[in-house]
Amino acid sequence: MADYREAPLASRPTTLDPNEYYNLSPEYRRAEQERAALRSNLKRQYQLKLNDPHRQQLIEDPALSRWVYARANPYSHFRPTGKTSLLGALFGVAPLFILYYVFKTNRDGKDAQIKAGTLERKYKMSY
Amino acid sequence: MLKILIPTLFLIPTTWLTPQKWLWPTVMTQSMMIALISLTWLNNSSESGWTTMNSLIATDPLSTPLLVLSCWLLPLLVLASQNHLSSEPSSRQKTFLSLLSLLQVFIIMAFSATEMIMFYVMFEATLIPTLLVITRWGNQAERLNAGIYFLFYTLVGSLPLLVALLMLQNCTGTLSLLVLHYSQPVTMAPMSSKIWWVACMGAFLVKMPLYGAHLWLPKAHVEAPVAGSMVLAAVLLKLGGYGMMRLMVVLAPTSKEMAYPFIIMALWGVVMTGSTCLRQTDLKSLIAYSSVGHMGLVVAGILIQTPWGLTGALILMIAHGLTSSALFCLANTNYERTHTRTMLLARGLQTALPLMTAWWFIASLANLALPPLPNLMGELMIISSLFNWSPWTLLLTGVGTLITASYSLYMFLMTQRGPLPKHMMALPPSFTREHLLMALHLLPLMLIILKPAILWGCFP
Repeated sequence: MADYREAPLASRPTTLDPNEYYNLSPEYRRAEQERAALRSNLKRQYQLKLNDPHRQQLIEDPALSRWVYARANPYSHFRPTGKTSLLGALFGVAPLFILYYVFKTNRDGKDAQIKAGTLERKYKMSY
Repeated sequence: MLKILIPTLFLIPTTWLTPQKWLWPTVMTQSMMIALISLTWLNNSSESGWTTMNSLIATDPLSTPLLVLSCWLLPLLVLASQNHLSSEPSSRQKTFLSLLSLLQVFIIMAFSATEMIMFYVMFEATLIPTLLVITRWGNQAERLNAGIYFLFYTLVGSLPLLVALLMLQNCTGTLSLLVLHYSQPVTMAPMSSKIWWVACMGAFLVKMPLYGAHLWLPKAHVEAPVAGSMVLAAVLLKLGGYGMMRLMVVLAPTSKEMAYPFIIMALWGVVMTGSTCLRQTDLKSLIAYSSVGHMGLVVAGILIQTPWGLTGALILMIAHGLTSSALFCLANTNYERTHTRTMLLARGLQTALPLMTAWWFIASLANLALPPLPNLMGELMIISSLFNWSPWTLLLTGVGTLITASYSLYMFLMTQRGPLPKHMMALPPSFTREHLLMALHLLPLMLIILKPAILWGCFP
């Protein structure tokens, strides 16, 4: 631990806190050091891009790009599971049949009333 | 009519013969003059309705608002494309403008056709320049996929329409819109009349789009450059509505039964696409899905075939054309500055570009159908006539209106309020050209409040 120096822009992770690392194996500590070095390198690159006076465009975040792609392309990665099939049936198929039944019975009822002559035609502004 | 068609056709030689320095002002001026002359069409003073006639082309109160809308839109397309095309070589810019002018010629001829076959040919012809604009000048690799979806969805829908029209010509002897109302109803077996109904309506339902066949629209709108998105949203969708309104007169008794599934799909589509809008991350995709929702209401209004329904459909088509086009222009102003359509990355713009926020505000309010804008008037007429058709539709249309309001507000708050991202830099201030573009979109919309009678069509 003595030769680990904090990167200028990175904070010391909790597992490298001296109070914590008495129980950690040397391999774990080495792995943590490497990971911390990678993270601080990424942060350094971001800060370099952020403060570059000649930068004209957005800084590309690969995680954001992946997320945007995932949100924009659901159909190519669609898998019919139990849950998706249920949702599809519940929101895509069943309402169409339910609405057809509702509208048809309503309109046929009105038709029957007209045929029987019982429809009360109130004054209507819109038609 | 020729005083509009010939100048529009000759926009093409104009673009190729003007020197590069004067290209954009010249095309803009010529198309603006054509737009101003087209306003004279709004004076429909004939008893039969049909004016500006020659044997092939006429206008009537149904086609006039749509024609004026498309003529008005051409200078706006030119204005909107100026920035992103400025880095391209001169011949490519001229090709783009020629494609837009050609598209305009086809649209004018489609809306003013008196013969259904001419309408059909022009309906198909508008696909080609739009396809070229989307696939050549779009910004992402997905534009090719978008072009294929756009082309093939519409083609597959419209091939049966050709067969149906030829069959109608065979049976009635004429396809002239002037006399289509007076022709004998076509008698055939029940099953074949249902198939014939679907064949007639299918193309227009795909074009509108109806909710089940709407998959091409978000792709095409998102991948198209701003002029492509504007013309698609404002005019090409309305071609479908216009075709439906014209053709439904000959489909009379079959429509009573056949309209049910499509009205249901349209109304359910309003609710579903509205909900989809609420979880969109891509700004243009949100506006595209909102187009599907509004057009779903229009489809329902047309399919119930009542005077108020048809009037509301026409008013909503015009109002939506202007509003949707305005929103795409606003999304483009964002895109040109940040080169991303993701809403998360382009937030809090009120602090950076406050004047544009005013336009965003008005456009979002128009989208959510604020009174007294014609968006609300159209929607209200459709909702009222649907309620008269069956009171249960109010559940769907009411929920749809609520969801429309919430996603329009969501779009406004997401793009304008909130924290400006810290890594945002080099945001050029809003250009006068962009302010002019927005004003030219929203001022007509607000002026229509004063005289909506020009948009009523031939109905009440």
